[in-house]
Amino acid sequence: MSNETKQILTTDGIPLEVSLKKAEKKNKIKAFLLVAPLLLFLIITYIFPIGDMLFRSVDDRMVTNMLPKTYKAMEKWDGKDLPPEEVFEAFYIDYKLLVEQKTFGKLATQLNYEKNGFKSILKKLKRKMKKFENENYKEQIMAVHKRWANVEYWRAIKRRAPDITYAKYLKAMDMFENEDGNISQVSEDRRVHRVLWLRTLEVAFFVTVFCFLMAYPIAHLLATLPMKYSNLLMICVLLPFWTSLLVRTASWMILLQQQGIVNDFFVWIGLVANDNRPEMMYNKTGTYVAMTQILLPFMVLPLYSVMKTISPSLMRAGKSLGGTPFVAFWKIYFPLTIPGIGAGCLLVFILAIGYYITPALVGGASGTLISNQIAFHMKSTLDWSFASAMGLMLLTGVLVVYWVYNKLVGVDNIKLG
Amino acid sequence: MKKLSKLLLALSFALSVTSSAFAVTAVSWGGAYTESQKLGYGDPTAKKLGIEINWVDYSGGLSEIKAQKEAGKITWDIIDVFAMDTITGCDEGLFVEFDFDKDFPPAPDGTPASKDFFAPMPSKCAVGNILYSWNYAYNTENVKGTPKTIKDFFNTKKFPGKRAIYKSALTNLEIALAADGIKPGKGGAKIYEALESEKGVQRAMDKIKKLCTDPKGGCVFWSAGAQPPELLVSGEVVMATGWNGRFFNAEVGEGAPIKQVWDGQGLDYEYFVLVKGGPNEADAKKALAMMTSTEMLAGSAKYIAYAPWRKSSLKVMEAGEPWYKDGKTNMVPQMPTAPQNTKNFFLVDPIFWADNGTELGEKWEAMKAGL
Repeated sequence: MSNETKQILTTDGIPLEVSLKKAEKKNKIKAFLLVAPLLLFLIITYIFPIGDMLFRSVDDRMVTNMLPKTYKAMEKWDGKDLPPEEVFEAFYIDYKLLVEQKTFGKLATQLNYEKNGFKSILKKLKRKMKKFENENYKEQIMAVHKRWANVEYWRAIKRRAPDITYAKYLKAMDMFENEDGNISQVSEDRRVHRVLWLRTLEVAFFVTVFCFLMAYPIAHLLATLPMKYSNLLMICVLLPFWTSLLVRTASWMILLQQQGIVNDFFVWIGLVANDNRPEMMYNKTGTYVAMTQILLPFMVLPLYSVMKTISPSLMRAGKSLGGTPFVAFWKIYFPLTIPGIGAGCLLVFILAIGYYITPALVGGASGTLISNQIAFHMKSTLDWSFASAMGLMLLTGVLVVYWVYNKLVGVDNIKLG
Repeated sequence: MKKLSKLLLALSFALSVTSSAFAVTAVSWGGAYTESQKLGYGDPTAKKLGIEINWVDYSGGLSEIKAQKEAGKITWDIIDVFAMDTITGCDEGLFVEFDFDKDFPPAPDGTPASKDFFAPMPSKCAVGNILYSWNYAYNTENVKGTPKTIKDFFNTKKFPGKRAIYKSALTNLEIALAADGIKPGKGGAKIYEALESEKGVQRAMDKIKKLCTDPKGGCVFWSAGAQPPELLVSGEVVMATGWNGRFFNAEVGEGAPIKQVWDGQGLDYEYFVLVKGGPNEADAKKALAMMTSTEMLAGSAKYIAYAPWRKSSLKVMEAGEPWYKDGKTNMVPQMPTAPQNTKNFFLVDPIFWADNGTELGEKWEAMKAGL
């Protein structure tokens, strides 16, 4: 009785609480339906491909499925000396099936990633196999090519046994897991990925710094000049922004080369001798100049949008309270622009870290970045799992930067406009 | 996961298809090269057979066609590819295998197609269209004297100045060994024999390294085919390796002061492949057979200095000289396969690069990083 009296009923006799919940639920569904397209879009274009990439980078079932008998026979083999006859026989049976199904090419490609030289010896084996006699496979296979008698190649096959592998990640760090299960470095003349990672980070970092140094005064000018001039200046910022990336890179090549316009000018004003023109391209200088110019708008625009909202009276107030112009700037203006700086730096850094056309064209020997390597494995070697692993490492790097930024400044502070 | 990915890929490809379903889609590298293919044999074939041929540009590699196949929606019929890619694609079952004598018309004098080709095909799926050369050229205004041999390319004492070389290891290692005194032997077999060993690779790398770190020399690495002539003309470098068609274009087409050197050149091939399960496989096969016939292949050499794959095409050109589109220039001496240009050459070995490309690529980048 007491319970019923407490309950408030709506006009149609349903308890208010239930009715409210119902209405709320309806609203929630409506709201969800409104964002559903966006959510779906995000899942399809963002979460799903990244998941697929992650899966590709560790999935290694293909080889295991193609050589089932071989791996069964290899279980007992310790990997020290050449495998016993059973392994050779099992390999022969597995491979013969693949040749009949015409899928041996995939095995050759996969094994060639593990160790160079597999492609040709598998092809040779395919040709010679037709005349094989029914026993003593070890001798017969070893007679096909001397590499088949090299234990390294059999170890390479064994390394591909597990279904899930993180070998690609090790490879991206110039390391590998040897047969004892220890992780060690690859030989010195093949250590290239770590160099490229460091170079990528270095280029991205310095480009961000240069962009910041150049964009800050520009954005300040844009925000404080009268409309008449600031509009013109804005067009100067935006015009290159709308021009194709390749066109801009090519123009820098014309400007910066040794016989180029900038050098001609230097010679003309007598700054350098004609036969001693400085090299401004095909080295890091060229990369920094071109990339800074190309990415500059991504720094200017967020900075501008933040600076525009800062009232000039704040600086005046600071100065009237006794601060020197510098103190007023440093204590009042600068902290207020931090959200813009954060947004600009993050944008430029993230874009720079994945850049490769510009460094490849103007960077010379130092123009190869990790993204070139990813493209190489995507397009030429078709080692998509390796490319995925490197892509994910790059993504992780960006997320780490984001996390550090969040800890130091706070992501809520970012302001894009 | 896999299914969904297929669905997505299919969707994106379905959206990207703009060509009509009945046309044959031929995919090539774009620029002056595609132009020569389209004018030389694409359009005449289309006219004769009444089949529309759409030319689409791509930047090489098998990644696109592989993605199309994974998605189950193939939109390409004919692709212009490197030798290495025909081997990989053939082994992985992406392309149609040919019976050369049955699928392709004989030469006008009745020689079966397989005997008319300049060299045997690297795989059963490949039919050659052109041979091109990795040779070098120099700026006649900036070089004192006349470089004649591949050794001169590395001789910075006699010919000081920067050199432009290709950004990857491909052909650079071969050229370095040829300049270091290894006689290429038949088709370059000796060079590849040397490159099979660590010592040979080291020797080639050292040669390049020496050239690039030489204060009188120095290297610029090019990545796009248009760069070498441009670098020569601008005076940025005094010598550059590159593709002979591009040099020819600058030299004859535009009258630039550059000259080609054929000693120690690397002959490389370009092929057409027919995609298995392409949207218009039957028509594409007919078109391909006609495009690679004697007359048609000779047609493309009217527009670009690359040699047709059929020996009989050269006879057609000889009879029709001056063959170049300007009506003045003889084309046969400009062919990379001409006897005076092949006194000392090597054939770029696709199987070697298929085997060792990744490892040598890593070593090459490591060497470059230390420059």
